[in-house]
Amino acid sequence: MGLRMWTYHPELLAVPVPRYTSFPTAAEFDQTVGAEAFVQALEAVTGEVSLYVHIPFCEKICWYCGCNTSVANRTDRVSGYLDALHREIGLVAERLPQVARVTRIAFGGGSPNGIPPVDFVRLVDALTLQFPASRPVLSIELDPRTMGREWAAVIGAVGITRASLGVQTFAPGLQQAIGRVQPAWMIEETTAMLRVAGIDSLNFDLMYGLPGQTMADLEDSLARTAALGADRIALFGYAHVPHLIARQRKIDAHALPDAEQRFAMAARGHALLVEAGYVPIGFDHFARPGDALAQAALSGNLRRNFQGFTEDKAPVLLGLGASSISGFPELLVQNEKNTGRYRMLLSQDRIAANRGIRRSGEDRRRGAVIEALLCRGRAPIPRDLQCEAWPLLLPYFDAALCDSDGEDLVILPQGLPYARSIAARLDPYRKDSLRRFSSAV
Amino acid sequence: MSNCDLCVVRNRAICSSLDAKELEALNAIGRTRTIQPGESLIWEGEDSVLVANVIDGVLKLSTNTEDGREQIVGVVYPSDFIGRPFGGTTGHGATALTEATVCVFSRRDFDAFAREHPALEHKLLERTLGELDRTRRWMLLLGRKSASEKLASFLLEMAERLQPPGCAWNFEDAGPRRITLPFSRQQIADVLGLTIETVSRQFTRFKNERLIDLPSRRDVILLDHEALTAEAG
Repeated sequence: MGLRMWTYHPELLAVPVPRYTSFPTAAEFDQTVGAEAFVQALEAVTGEVSLYVHIPFCEKICWYCGCNTSVANRTDRVSGYLDALHREIGLVAERLPQVARVTRIAFGGGSPNGIPPVDFVRLVDALTLQFPASRPVLSIELDPRTMGREWAAVIGAVGITRASLGVQTFAPGLQQAIGRVQPAWMIEETTAMLRVAGIDSLNFDLMYGLPGQTMADLEDSLARTAALGADRIALFGYAHVPHLIARQRKIDAHALPDAEQRFAMAARGHALLVEAGYVPIGFDHFARPGDALAQAALSGNLRRNFQGFTEDKAPVLLGLGASSISGFPELLVQNEKNTGRYRMLLSQDRIAANRGIRRSGEDRRRGAVIEALLCRGRAPIPRDLQCEAWPLLLPYFDAALCDSDGEDLVILPQGLPYARSIAARLDPYRKDSLRRFSSAV
Repeated sequence: MSNCDLCVVRNRAICSSLDAKELEALNAIGRTRTIQPGESLIWEGEDSVLVANVIDGVLKLSTNTEDGREQIVGVVYPSDFIGRPFGGTTGHGATALTEATVCVFSRRDFDAFAREHPALEHKLLERTLGELDRTRRWMLLLGRKSASEKLASFLLEMAERLQPPGCAWNFEDAGPRRITLPFSRQQIADVLGLTIETVSRQFTRFKNERLIDLPSRRDVILLDHEALTAEAG
C-alpha cells in the first residue's frame, strides 16, 4: 500500500511551538499561584485521580536528556529525597477527600529503577496506604542499563503492568554520541524479563535527529523495536538546545541532521511503523491495534497529558516529587524543581507546589480545541476563534495541510507533522515566536 | 551472650540469613525494647525513621489524621518485620496491643547494614514486598462495607497470621482452628472502625450460625472456614 509522503514546508515550521502537554503550557506558569491554590483544588477533588511520582535519579546521565535528573551515586542524597517524597505523600494524601479514587500511578524520572528496589517497594506501600485507591493501573519508566533480575521480580510482585523503556537508538555509534551505551542484547533481555514479569503494555522511546544518525540507522532501530514486539512507540525528535540544557554541550553539534533531514526522518518513521501495523497516535506516538492507547485513539478518547498521549481519562493528575506538575480542570501547578529546595520544603512539612497558572474559562475553551486537534486531528472552532485564527492558518489551508468542515477545523493526513504548528495558531500566549521551545519537527 | 542467641523468632525473622558474627554486628546497631500494652515505639531522644523486628507480642501500626483521628493501618505479629518507615518523621506509629518485645533500628543504619550483607538485603526486599502485600490486604479489609464482612475477613486474616511457624495449616486438613485473640472487643472495634456493640453482635451471630465458637473472651474457634470466607465477601 502506498503511503502519501509528507511535504516539507520549512516556512510553516519556522516558528518554534510548544509540545502542548498541557494548556496553558509550563512556559506560562508563574509564582502568583502555588501551595495555597494547590491545596484548595486538592480539597475539592471528588472523582478519578491519577498520580505521577517523579524519581529524578539515574545511574548515569545521558547527554541529550532534558529531564530534571541527577546521578544516583550518593546514597544519602537518594534517601534524603525519598524521605521528602514520603512526607509529601502524607501531606497530599491527607488533604485528598476520601471520595476521590486513585486509578493510576505512574512512576517516572529519571529512572525509577535507579533507586534501590526496596525503596521503591516502600514507596508503593506508602502510596497504597495513604491514597484511596481501587486497583490502580501501575506504570513505570525504566532504564535498561539498570534492569536486573531483582528489579524484574519487584515489578512482577508489585503488579506493574505498563513499562516504558528509554531505548532512543540501537546504533552503537549513536549511543556513544549521546552518552547512553546499552547494547541490543541488553534491551532484548530487559524486554524478555519485563514480559515474564507481567508487563502487558511495553513502550519504547526512540529518537530521530540524533548527531550522525542516518536514515538507515533509524530504519534499523524501528525494525528492531517492532521485532521485539513493543506495544507502544514514542518517536521523538532530538532537540539540541545546549543553551538551555548544559549537558547537551557534550554532544557534537556538527553532525546533527538539518531541519529537512529531520522532517524526512519523522516522515519515514511514521510510514515504516504504519507499514509494520502500528496505529499512529497523535503526532509522535504509535501503538499496536490491541493496545489500550490505540483503542483510545480509534474510539476518539485519546488525551494529552504531561507524559504525552494517553488513554487516561482522569480529570485530575497529582504530581509528587520535585518538579512534578499537578493538573486540575481549573489549575495547573508545579512543585519546586530544585531537589535540594524540594527537600527543604518537605523537611518543614510544607506543600512543595510553588508555581503554576489558574486555567480560566477561556484557557479551558482553547485548551480543549488544542487537545482535540492534537489527539483527534479535528475540533469544532467557535466563531470568534475562527475570526482570530483563520488568517494565521491561511498558509496551512493553502498548502492543503488542514481544511474546514462545517464548524470543524480538520488536520488532513499530510498535515500531521504540522499539527502542533496549526494548534499554536489558537494559542493566545504564542503571539510572538518563543526561542525557548524546540523546533516543531 | 548476645540477645540474638536467645531470640525465639531468630530462625524465621529477617535476620535468619546472618551468621553469628554478622548478628553481633547487627545487634550493635539495634536496640531491644520491651513495651507495655498501649505504649508506642520510639527511638528515644531522636527524630529518626525506624524499622523493627517483632520478637514477641502484637502491635498496631497507625497514623494520625489531621483532625486527630487515629487510623489503624496494619497489625504485626512475632517474626514480622516493620520496614514501613515509622517513628519520628512520618506520622506513623507502632503501638503495642499486648506486652511486646521488638528489635528497633534506625532505618538508615539498617539499610546501610543490609547493603553490606547481600543475603540480608535480599530478605529485606522480600519482607518489604510481603509488607506491601499485607498493606493491600489490609486496605481491602478496611474497604469492605458491612460489619460482618469486616469481622469475618479480620478473623481469617488473624488465623493465617497467628499460625505457628512451619505449619501450613488449612481447614480441610486440620478441622476447627483455635486462636487466642491478642485484641479486646474494643480494640477489634477500633481496628475495624466499628462500635463495640456491633462487634459483639457479629461475634454472637457468627457463633449462633456455627461459624465460630467462643470458649472464652479471648479465644475463638473457627469452625466453618468456607462459610466465613463467604461472609468475608
